[in-house]
Amino acid sequence: MILGRRRALTASQQFLSLQSNELSAGCGDLHAGALVWRCDVTPSPLSRFYRLRIEFRQGDTPAVFVESPGLNLLADGRRLPHVYLQYPPRLCLYLPRTFEWLPWMRIDRTIVPWAVLWLFYYEEWLASNEWKGGGEHPHAPEVETRSSKRLRIRTAAMRSNELLEADGLV
Amino acid sequence: MYADQRTVMKNVQLVGVLERMCQELELTDIQFELAKSRYEGVGRWFADAEDPLISMIAIYLQGSTAIGTTVKPIASYEHDVDLVAHVPEPDYIISPAALKAAIGDRLRANGHYASLLEEMGRCWRLNYANEFHLDITPSVPNPGCYRGGELVPDKALRAWSASNPKGYKVLFLERAKLMPQIRLTKSIIAADSMRSHVEAYPEQVGFKGILPRTVQLSKRHRDIHFQDIDPCLAPISVIVTTLASKSYEFCVRNRMYDGELDLLCDVIRNMPLFIQVDDSSGLRQWFIWNETTDNENFAEKWNADPRRARAFYSWQSRLLTDIEGLTQLEELDVLSKRLGSAFGQASASRALDGMMETVSTARRAGRLLAAPALGLGVSAFPASTAVRANTFFGSDD
Repeated sequence: MILGRRRALTASQQFLSLQSNELSAGCGDLHAGALVWRCDVTPSPLSRFYRLRIEFRQGDTPAVFVESPGLNLLADGRRLPHVYLQYPPRLCLYLPRTFEWLPWMRIDRTIVPWAVLWLFYYEEWLASNEWKGGGEHPHAPEVETRSSKRLRIRTAAMRSNELLEADGLV
Repeated sequence: MYADQRTVMKNVQLVGVLERMCQELELTDIQFELAKSRYEGVGRWFADAEDPLISMIAIYLQGSTAIGTTVKPIASYEHDVDLVAHVPEPDYIISPAALKAAIGDRLRANGHYASLLEEMGRCWRLNYANEFHLDITPSVPNPGCYRGGELVPDKALRAWSASNPKGYKVLFLERAKLMPQIRLTKSIIAADSMRSHVEAYPEQVGFKGILPRTVQLSKRHRDIHFQDIDPCLAPISVIVTTLASKSYEFCVRNRMYDGELDLLCDVIRNMPLFIQVDDSSGLRQWFIWNETTDNENFAEKWNADPRRARAFYSWQSRLLTDIEGLTQLEELDVLSKRLGSAFGQASASRALDGMMETVSTARRAGRLLAAPALGLGVSAFPASTAVRANTFFGSDD
């Protein structure tokens, strides 16, 4: 497998890319193979700015929290869709164990734009109570499991062409 | 650095949302064509009549359908399509009631029209259920009007009163063509450098025309505003349209603007300037003259019931506050609520759905980009990052 040969990015490489991308412009700490990064993002010119906190330990998967404004407060008692944790809200941005995110991918080019996308659908969900960004929930009915299989096949097909072109510090 | 671009894109997106909302509210092209073929059918039916009074009738559009400012009524699915049945050269002096009766007889003589026919105060209505209704108002030339005006029945059907639907339409469309002057500001320079981005965004829609959109937004806002007060006090459409068009002409001839929204707000702000107020008799009187004929005061009813005048002023100030407020917003959810309360939730939701769909479509096509301070879109800015395919996941905890 070609993909298997791609080397995982180190925490300092991820830190450098987060620093260099204007989309994730912010500041953070890098310490002993782990990083914490904070940046302000907005999903549209008609939207709020949100403060993201990204935590990443080398060899692990990145965790994304929204520090402000309070997502739960804005949701006015409703449970947030597509999060790992309601409070503090930790966003579920991709399907684990598929090829959507792999350790060689730059956080600033995957996780950060996905968080922006999540926030876009979140703001609209606040008004309509309907999540229009699609996705899956664990323990979902069979139909969704099938679509997840399709997705794995699709993703596997994609990785040989599109994803291989993924630029980055590899 | 991104602040100016954000302001520009914010206005572009807001205009896009308002434009989509107007598209939702107006007669679609298909409905328009259908209405046209229906009233042309009525015209042929008149032309085939033996009575020369009826056979010489010319039938044409007047009002909002004629000038492109239709707004779906809130209470029904049916649009109003207003038509004039004009007798160009009556051989004798005919009373409004007699002409109306003759037109009614002819319509009733056709079994199809007879089943759709409904008599209104001074016109005949053909009801096409769930589509629109055609309101056909009789008219004769006004020999006293050098502007080519017409005479239409008054409310009581007792006398003819001056009107000029054709002249009104021409004047409105001429004003709508006037181009605003846009001031060269920092944000416009930013807009200029971004023009290619905006134009390359096929889903970004600008206003079809600022004047017709101003009229549509105002009329819709009026319908929602007066729904819970008293619909009878609402300013009639021709008042809204006339004040908007006079104000638009004044604004574009005398002032410069930062953008379309800025102009939209100013047109609304200046509407009251074009109401003539006369206190000389000791009793306040209001006049909004039809400039295309003599002696047609659109505000006539205000003088009989001054509550209507007060209702106009309070509505107009609310409309201005609501639209100005939109430009201050930085929350999609709040925008949705404000648009909903000002223009109706269903139309607001559909307009915003259009914006959501733009992003979702680009996402599916793998063309979505994220830019600092601007968020998602398909326009590439130097600092844009592609949004790769992902599937949102979730947890039960």
